[in-house]
Amino acid sequence: MRPHKNRGLGSGLNELTLSAAVGTKLHIEDEDAFHANFAQEMGVSVDMMRELKEVCSIASLRCHPEDQEPDPEVVPEDPTLKTLVERKKKQDYKSSLKISKNRHDLYADEQERLAVMMKPEAVENMVSEGDVILTMNVYYPATFEKFCYVRPHMTLLLMGSQRLTELRDAICCASDLQMCGEFSNAPDMAPDFVSKEHYKSAFFFFEGVFYNDMRYPECRDISQTTITWAKANNFPPYSQAKMEDTKLLDLQVKVGFPYLYCHQGDCEHVVIITDVRLTHKDDCLDRKFYPLLTHKHRIATQKCAVCYTFIARWCTTGDQFAPSHPCVFCDKCFRMLHYDADGNKLGDFQAYPYIDRGAFN
Amino acid sequence: MKTKSSRNQQVRSDCEELLARFQQTDSVRFEVFSQIWREMKFGHIFFGTAGREKRAFGRAALDVAAVYFLPPFSFQIRAGGLYLLHGLYHCQTASPRVPIRLALKDWEDVLAFEKDAVGAQHLDAVFLLRQLLLRKAFHFAAMPALLTFKRSKEEARSRLCKRFVARARGPQELVGRDAMEELSNIHHLYGKLKSSVFSEAQRERLGVALIRHNLPAQLRGHVVSFHGWQKRKQQEESDDEDEGDGEGTSSRAESSRRAQLLSSIKSKAYGQAAETCKSRRHRQVEVNAGEESGPALSKVRSKSSKVSLKARTTENVCIIGDMSKEAATSTRIHHLTALDRGGRQAQKDESAGE
Ligand SMILES: [Zn+2]
Ligand SMILES: [Zn+2]
Repeated sequence: MRPHKNRGLGSGLNELTLSAAVGTKLHIEDEDAFHANFAQEMGVSVDMMRELKEVCSIASLRCHPEDQEPDPEVVPEDPTLKTLVERKKKQDYKSSLKISKNRHDLYADEQERLAVMMKPEAVENMVSEGDVILTMNVYYPATFEKFCYVRPHMTLLLMGSQRLTELRDAICCASDLQMCGEFSNAPDMAPDFVSKEHYKSAFFFFEGVFYNDMRYPECRDISQTTITWAKANNFPPYSQAKMEDTKLLDLQVKVGFPYLYCHQGDCEHVVIITDVRLTHKDDCLDRKFYPLLTHKHRIATQKCAVCYTFIARWCTTGDQFAPSHPCVFCDKCFRMLHYDADGNKLGDFQAYPYIDRGAFN
Repeated sequence: MKTKSSRNQQVRSDCEELLARFQQTDSVRFEVFSQIWREMKFGHIFFGTAGREKRAFGRAALDVAAVYFLPPFSFQIRAGGLYLLHGLYHCQTASPRVPIRLALKDWEDVLAFEKDAVGAQHLDAVFLLRQLLLRKAFHFAAMPALLTFKRSKEEARSRLCKRFVARARGPQELVGRDAMEELSNIHHLYGKLKSSVFSEAQRERLGVALIRHNLPAQLRGHVVSFHGWQKRKQQEESDDEDEGDGEGTSSRAESSRRAQLLSSIKSKAYGQAAETCKSRRHRQVEVNAGEESGPALSKVRSKSSKVSLKARTTENVCIIGDMSKEAATSTRIHHLTALDRGGRQAQKDESAGE
């Protein structure tokens, strides 16, 4: 019943910081001091050091005359590098199609830029040196066929010192917002009934251990059924631990291996730790921005069957006004079509609140 | 995904072209490298990327290049790989710069490389490595690349350029000069001890060979023939590789083969002593074996005037290939024999299937 504590994720990397610092003795020097130390350590004369710096200067990499800086946004004329030849071909082809950059690409740039260079105002929010950053991909369940091919997911950056519950709270899934029940007689009641508030149990499964969210009194250990079943069927024994007690650093996991996140009883997400690394000066150094969302799959949203403009909020069945069965509507069209000015239900139908898969876009 | 892996393929072949040219110079000088870099206009490899592509391409290019900085490549290629990382890191157009990923398991190899470079006084290599560390150019990560299940197979099993791989020197290092000396001494004592048990007459009557005669010489012979076999093997392999490359490369390979042959003849003639005391300053453009081996040569000769087996083994056992100057002592031995045929065959099959 205890989380794995033997040789967690961070330990190897922490040793690395140490040897990186000791091995090169460079952790706080600036360039001048670096040059002086280098000359001294290697027994290099002043003249030779000057020559070395010149030979190794960035200018030695310049591939064009100093006064004729080409435009780095453009592939140079008559390239010889294979990469450039291909890039030119592709760009010529693309420009012949005249497609402008899509909105999502523009937005993605913005998100990436947000992720870097953020320094905290308060010192205590500063990410500590030697902490590790984990990159986690949380995949969406393959609930419809297309998802089997595109593997939609969100990517989160987390600090090793964070707990699994912080990861859980950062995972946005439409099923947490799902509202169960038929509300055709009282559509105004629906928004109060959000699944996340009602069904708080969830678990992560890493390397034979179920990490259950037990923060609230309503939480139940939903892994118990599986564990009991596994025991009865001669599977290797599984154990349980608490999500809120487990730091990511304490986990024993394989990088790149698929694990599981399960919530709302049966909404299952594959979770993959794609990277573990030491923090770097260009990372976002403010703790409070973690878990940091760096990628979110955008899904085409289901639009209202009447106006084709707004995202669907209601799903009806047995609906005499609807062109199909079932049918989705935005809130405004749904009410206009199904209720009179006083809010009385017209005709016969069942109405269910509908949360679009793209609700988090 | 397909475009991604083909892009990596192009970057890889550009990098290999640069490193192949560098390899032909038989130099580890950054000055030589940067000249080839400028000739190829390698810095322009980032031109024409915009927006997201800037970072994505920077990431891909550095990941491709980082491979050459690590074993099993020869010291010269690893130095070239380091220079390549230095060049790509500083010429990239993304801001802030995309860092170089260095995996936990590779860190020791980097330290060993640094030690080798310091030992051989390759100041430019040491300087540029430390400068990258100073400028925080590295991400110290658990794994060399991000791991997801959507990686295509060819990417995951990146093809090794056989020409760049350091030749195994295990046997040569094991049967070195000191070991040989030790062995012949022990063998001598052992023989004496054994023969003291019987008198000369007894031995003749029994007709038993008490010791293996000439053991050191035999051992030396084996190492020499291993070296020869290994060389032939590598030659064959690089021939195989060139065949598929189409036009243009074969003539270059030819000249490089001649250069390799020449330098191996030279280094054989002058022996290890010549190699180790060769001065290596950062400004020296190319290794001029003939001139520099002068003083070292006389050293070897004066030693050999002491006659004996010891001297002869000294002179003959120092089998030094053309890559000798690179294989400094602390480099780990990765392949004890020639390159694994099985893996190579699998790769061939794979490429044939494409
Ligand atoms: Zn879910
Ligand atoms: Zn509508």
